[in-house]
Amino acid sequence: MAVKTRTRSNAYCPKPVADESGFRSDNGAFSSVSSYGLRHCLLAAFAVGIPTWLNAEDWAQFRGPNASGVAVESTNPPVEFSADHNVKWSLDLGKGVACPIVAAERCFVTTMTETGKFAVLSLDAANGKTLWKSEFDTGKLPEIMPPNEHASSTPAADGERVFVHFSTIGLLALDAKTGDELWRYKLPEPFYLMGWGAANSPIIYRDMVIFNLDDDLASYLIAFDTESGSVRWQTDRPEMLGGYAVPVLCTANGRTDVVVAGSGKLKGYDPATGKELWTCNSLLRTIMVTPVVQDDRMYITAQSYGDTDRVLKFALLQWRDTNQDEKLAKDELEPAFHAKFDKGDHNKDGFLVGDEIDDAFQAKTNRVGGGNIIQAIRGGGNGDVTETHLIYNLDHKTPSNIASPLAYDGRLLMVKKGGISAAFNLEDGSTVWTKKRIRNFGNYYASPIAAGDRIYVPGENGNIVVLKSGPTLEVIAKNDIGDSVIATPAIANNRLYVRTLHKIFCFSEEKE
Amino acid sequence: MKHMRMVFLFSVAILCCRTAATAADKVHIVHGPHAPQIEKYAADELKGQFERLFSDVHVVVETVASPDAVTTVFVGSPATNPQLATLFTSWPEVSDQGIVIQSLPDKSLHAVGGGSPAATLWAAYELGYRLGIRYLPRGDMYPQSKKPLNLDGIDTVMEPELRSRTWRTINDFAIGPESWGAAEHKRFLKQLAKMKFNRLMLSVYPWQPFVQYEFGGVKKSTATHWFDEKFPLDGDTAGKKAFGGKRLFENPDFAGLTTSDDRHAAGQRHMQAIIDTAHELGMSVGVCIVACEFPLEFQKTLPGSQVAHQLKNLTITPAGKQGPADSTLRKLVATKIRAYIDTYPTLDTLYISMPEFPTWGQHAEVALDQLKHRGVPADLTVEKLSQPARDRQTIVSGDRGEQAVRGNLVGLAFFQSLFDDPQLLKRTDGSNVQLVVTSVDPALFPVLNHVVPPDAGTLNFVDYTSRRSVENKDLIAQVPAGKVSSELIMTLADDNVGILPQSAMQSLSTLTKSIKQHDWEGFSTRYWVPAELDPAVYFLARASWEKDLTAGQAVRELWTTATGNAAAADRLWKAWQHLEAATDLIDKHAIGFTFPVQGMLMKHANENPLPEWWQQANDAYTAYMVELYRAHGAIDGDAKPILFYYAKRSEFALEYLAAVKAVREAALAKKEGNIEQAMEHFETALEQTHNCINTLSDVAQDQSDRGVIAVLNAYAYRPLLAEYEKLADSE
Repeated sequence: MAVKTRTRSNAYCPKPVADESGFRSDNGAFSSVSSYGLRHCLLAAFAVGIPTWLNAEDWAQFRGPNASGVAVESTNPPVEFSADHNVKWSLDLGKGVACPIVAAERCFVTTMTETGKFAVLSLDAANGKTLWKSEFDTGKLPEIMPPNEHASSTPAADGERVFVHFSTIGLLALDAKTGDELWRYKLPEPFYLMGWGAANSPIIYRDMVIFNLDDDLASYLIAFDTESGSVRWQTDRPEMLGGYAVPVLCTANGRTDVVVAGSGKLKGYDPATGKELWTCNSLLRTIMVTPVVQDDRMYITAQSYGDTDRVLKFALLQWRDTNQDEKLAKDELEPAFHAKFDKGDHNKDGFLVGDEIDDAFQAKTNRVGGGNIIQAIRGGGNGDVTETHLIYNLDHKTPSNIASPLAYDGRLLMVKKGGISAAFNLEDGSTVWTKKRIRNFGNYYASPIAAGDRIYVPGENGNIVVLKSGPTLEVIAKNDIGDSVIATPAIANNRLYVRTLHKIFCFSEEKE
Repeated sequence: MKHMRMVFLFSVAILCCRTAATAADKVHIVHGPHAPQIEKYAADELKGQFERLFSDVHVVVETVASPDAVTTVFVGSPATNPQLATLFTSWPEVSDQGIVIQSLPDKSLHAVGGGSPAATLWAAYELGYRLGIRYLPRGDMYPQSKKPLNLDGIDTVMEPELRSRTWRTINDFAIGPESWGAAEHKRFLKQLAKMKFNRLMLSVYPWQPFVQYEFGGVKKSTATHWFDEKFPLDGDTAGKKAFGGKRLFENPDFAGLTTSDDRHAAGQRHMQAIIDTAHELGMSVGVCIVACEFPLEFQKTLPGSQVAHQLKNLTITPAGKQGPADSTLRKLVATKIRAYIDTYPTLDTLYISMPEFPTWGQHAEVALDQLKHRGVPADLTVEKLSQPARDRQTIVSGDRGEQAVRGNLVGLAFFQSLFDDPQLLKRTDGSNVQLVVTSVDPALFPVLNHVVPPDAGTLNFVDYTSRRSVENKDLIAQVPAGKVSSELIMTLADDNVGILPQSAMQSLSTLTKSIKQHDWEGFSTRYWVPAELDPAVYFLARASWEKDLTAGQAVRELWTTATGNAAAADRLWKAWQHLEAATDLIDKHAIGFTFPVQGMLMKHANENPLPEWWQQANDAYTAYMVELYRAHGAIDGDAKPILFYYAKRSEFALEYLAAVKAVREAALAKKEGNIEQAMEHFETALEQTHNCINTLSDVAQDQSDRGVIAVLNAYAYRPLLAEYEKLADSE
C-alpha cells in the first residue's frame, strides 16, 4: 500500500518545474503548486482511467497539503450536515484537539485514553472501522492550558508510516498498516512560560520528517530520516519564544525552503542541511499561526496580545510575578527555567528586574511586542529579507491569534473571535471586505479550509459555517454538530472529517 | 460482661505486642461492634483520607483492634466503642457537638470521636483538616504529595462557637439548587458534612412539586419549577456543550415528567432522598414553607383571597377582609402544614416564613393586643414599633417598613393562635417537629421572644445583601438571643445582585463576629449559584469553631495550605477583595443589575449615559481575573482546576458587562438616529453575550452553572437577537 501511494503521488503530479529533486510524498509534492494546477493534474489522472482505489485523495498532515487548508481534488464535500444528518460515520474518541489526517484511505486520529495513555488510531476512512489502536505510556503529564489538550499534535503520514509528537515521549514513528512502533526519538519536554502546553506537528518532506518546536526553553527545528529515525540535522532557534507554527515549504527561484514562523521572525531553512537561509524580521511576539504558501509567496496573518511596546517582560510581570513585587524571583518560575533565570540575573541578586527579564528569556536581537499583521513575503531570499521581500504589511485588527489564514481563489481570508471575517486580495493586499460577521459567535481555534467553491469555518461552539468562495461574504450553511471544534477538519474524497473535542465525524453526501 | 473482659484482654494485648513497621504500614481503624451507621461511615472516610494522604500504608476498617497494626485509630466515643472506652480512660466531657482527637503516649493508638455520632464524623474530618486536606463545597484539596504516616500533634478537644450551622437549599430559580438532582445534592451535602454543617433547610415554594394536598375538594395540581419558566436548548442556543445534547433544561430528577401526579411523585422522591442523605450525614433537616400562600387552584376554596403579585403570579394569599381569624384560612394553612409533616415523617424542623402580609395591616392593633397576652410589653403600640421600621436604612423601610411591621404583627398573632393546637406539629411517632419562625421584621427583634410561639426558634433577616446587613448590624444586638434561639440569615450571594460572580467575605466576617458577640445560636446561608462561594463557606465553617478567625486569615490559610505558595495565597485574598468590591458596587448602585428574569439585559437598552460605576465594576472584575490567572499559573495540585474555574467565570463577568455596555451604546446610537452604529453595537452585544455564555459552558460543573447558561439564553441572548433582527428588518 505504501509503495502504491508513492507511485500514485508521482503519477498524479508531474514534478513541478520549480523543484529539482522530485517529490515522494503528497505533502512535499503539493507544496508549491497552486490549487488550480493540482486540480488539472488530478482531473487528467481521472481521465486516463486509473482505478478508483488509487485515486484516493489524501490530507496527510496538519491542514492538508502544505498546511494550506485546501483540498486539491474534492469539489463537492457536504454543505449541510449535523450530528444526525449526512453522517457517513462517527466514533467516540475521548478528548483531543489534534487534527484528523487522511492518507491512503486511512484516517489517523489521536486521543488520550481513560487510563491516561496516549493513543493513535487508524480508521478506515470510508466506514470509520478501527483498523488499529496503539497506546503509549506518557509518564507524568505536563501542565496545559485549556482549550489545549494533551493529544494535541497532528500526525503526518506518508502512506507507510505515521509520525506524531507527544510532549513527554518525543517523536513516534508507527507502521501505518499495523500501528507497530517503528522508532521513537526522545525530545526534550517543552516548557512554556504561560503554561500553554505543547501542540506542535510534524510534516514530511521527501524522506524526512521535519518537526519544529518553539517553546520558552530551547526552540529547535529538527529533521529525521523517516525510515530509520536518525537525525539528519537539527537547527536551534534561540531567538524564539513559545509558539505553534507548523513548517511549510516554499519553492522560489528554483529552491525549496522549509519556512517556519516564530517570535518576530519568519525564517527559511535549507531542507537538506537545516541551515538558515533567510529571515524576515516583521512578525510579532507570540506566533501561534501557520503561514500559507501560494506560488512563491508566503502569507501570514497574526495577532499578538498588546501593543508594539509590550515585550515579554511586561507579560511575565503581569502573569508570573506571583507576589506582584515587580520583580521575578526564581521560585516564581518552574525549575526548568532556572538556568535561563541565572543567565538573566546579571547582578546575581536572585531576582530578575526590568530588562533582566527579557535578557533571560529572549535574544537581544528579537524583542518585539504585540499587534496585528497581515503580510505577504516573497520566497527565495537570502540573509535579512525584511526590506527586500516583504510585499505588504497591513495593520488591520482582523487577524486571529490562533486560526491561520486561508489563501484561496486569489483572496486571503481570516476569521477571528466573534466570527468576524476579513478578506484581502492576495496580490496586493487590497481590501475585499473587513469586519464582516459570519453569523456564528464564539471562539475560533480551528482554521478555515476549502474545497471546490466552499469554505468551511469551524467555530469552537460546534457550528461549522460554510461560505461560498467569492468576492463577497456569503454564508450558505451553518451546521451545528453539537460538540466543540478545536481541531481543523480534513477534507478528502469529498468527505469532511471533523475531530470534535470528544469524537470524530465523517460527513458526506455520498449515497450508499 | 464477658464481652467487656475480652475487650480488655485484647486491649492489653495490643499495648504489649506492638510490632515494627513493615513495608506497608498497617493502619487499623476500629469502630465499635455496634457502632451507629454514622461512625462506621466516619471510619470509612478516615480510611479513604489516610490512603490519599500517606504513602505506603495499608488501611483496614475493623471492629476489633489487631496487634499487628503499626497504628490503630479508634472511632467513636466511650459510649459506642468499648475498646476506646477501655484504652482512653481520660476521655474529656464534651457536648453533643464536641470533638475529641486523642493519642496515647506511645503515639501508636489514637481516638477520633465526639459527643455524638455526628460529632465523631466531624472529628474524622477535623483530623483530615489537620493533616492538610482542605474541604470546599466544590471538592477536596489534598496535599500535593503523599507523606509517610505521621499522626503526631493531632490531639484536640473542640466545641463550636456557633452551634447552629444551617445550609439552605432548593430555593426558587433555575440558577440555584432547585435545578439540582438528588445525586448532586448528595455530593454537595457530603462536602457540607466535611465542613461540619449540622442543619439543612429545604426552602420550598407553593408551586413546587414537593407536596400534594387536598382541601375543599381541590387537589393541588401545580407542580412546577422556577416560577413555571421553561428553558429550551434547541435552535440557536449558546453554550450548548454544557448540556450534552439535551433539548430542554430540566432538573434531572424530573426529566420528561409532565403530569402533575408524576411530578409530585418525583418531587417527593427527590426531597425524601435529600432528607435521607442529610440524616445519614448527621444533619437535622427542616423544611421552610410560605404557610399562607397557595397555588392558584385553591382560590375557589378561599373566598376573598387574592393573587399575589410576583413572577408569573402563581399563588394566592389571604386578602385584607379575610382576616387572620378566618376559619377556612386556618384550616387550609393547617392542611398544608400537616401535608409536609405527613409526607416527610422524618423531618426535624418546620420553618414558617413571614411574608409581609401587606393586606393584613388593618388588623395590626388587634393582633398586638393578642400578642400582649403572650408577653409583649403592655406599653408597646403599633406606632412605636413601626417608627424604627420607617426610619431604618434597610431596603424594607419607609411606608414599606411600616407595612411590614403591621403585617408581621398580624401574621405572628395568627401563628401563635394556630400553633396552640398541640396536634399540628405532631409526627406520626408522637414526637413534635421543632418550629422556627423566619424573617420576623427587625423592628420586632427586641420582643422576639414574645412574638413567636412558645419554644419556637427564630431565623432572622436583616437585609438582602451582607453588605447591607453590616450597615444595619445594630439590629443584631437587639435580639434577646439568650431568651430565644436565633440564627442569622447570611447572604453569601444575592439573587438581586444576580448571576455575576459575587463575594461578601468581609461583610460575612463582620456579621460572624457580631452574632458571636451577641450570643446568637448560629446562621443559615442564602445564595443561588454556589460557584465563587467556596472560600466564604470555608470561612463560615472554620469561624464556627474558631473564636476570632477573620475572613482574610481564613482565605490566606486556605490557599496557602492548598497551594503551598504563600505569595499566591496573599494575592488570592486580594482577588476576593476585588470581587467583593465589584459585588458592593452593583449592590450599592443597581441591586437587581443581573436579577435572572425576563428583560435582564434589554432593560439596559435605555438612553441614559453610561454610569461611572460600570467602569469601576469592570476594573474590579478585571483585577480579580488577573489575580486568578496569575495564581493559577503559579500553583499545582487540586487547587489549580478550581482557580481556573473561577478565572473563566471572571471572564464571563467581563464579557457580560461588555454586552451591557454595548446594549446601552446601541440604545444611545438609536436615539441619535444612527441605525448603522446601533446595529454595530448590537452586534458587539450579541458577540459578548454569546461569548460570556460560551465561557461559562467551558467550565460548567453543576446544574447551577447550567442554569445560568439556560437563563442567559432565555433572558439575554435571544431577546437581544430578536431586537437586533427587528432593527435589521427595519433597515
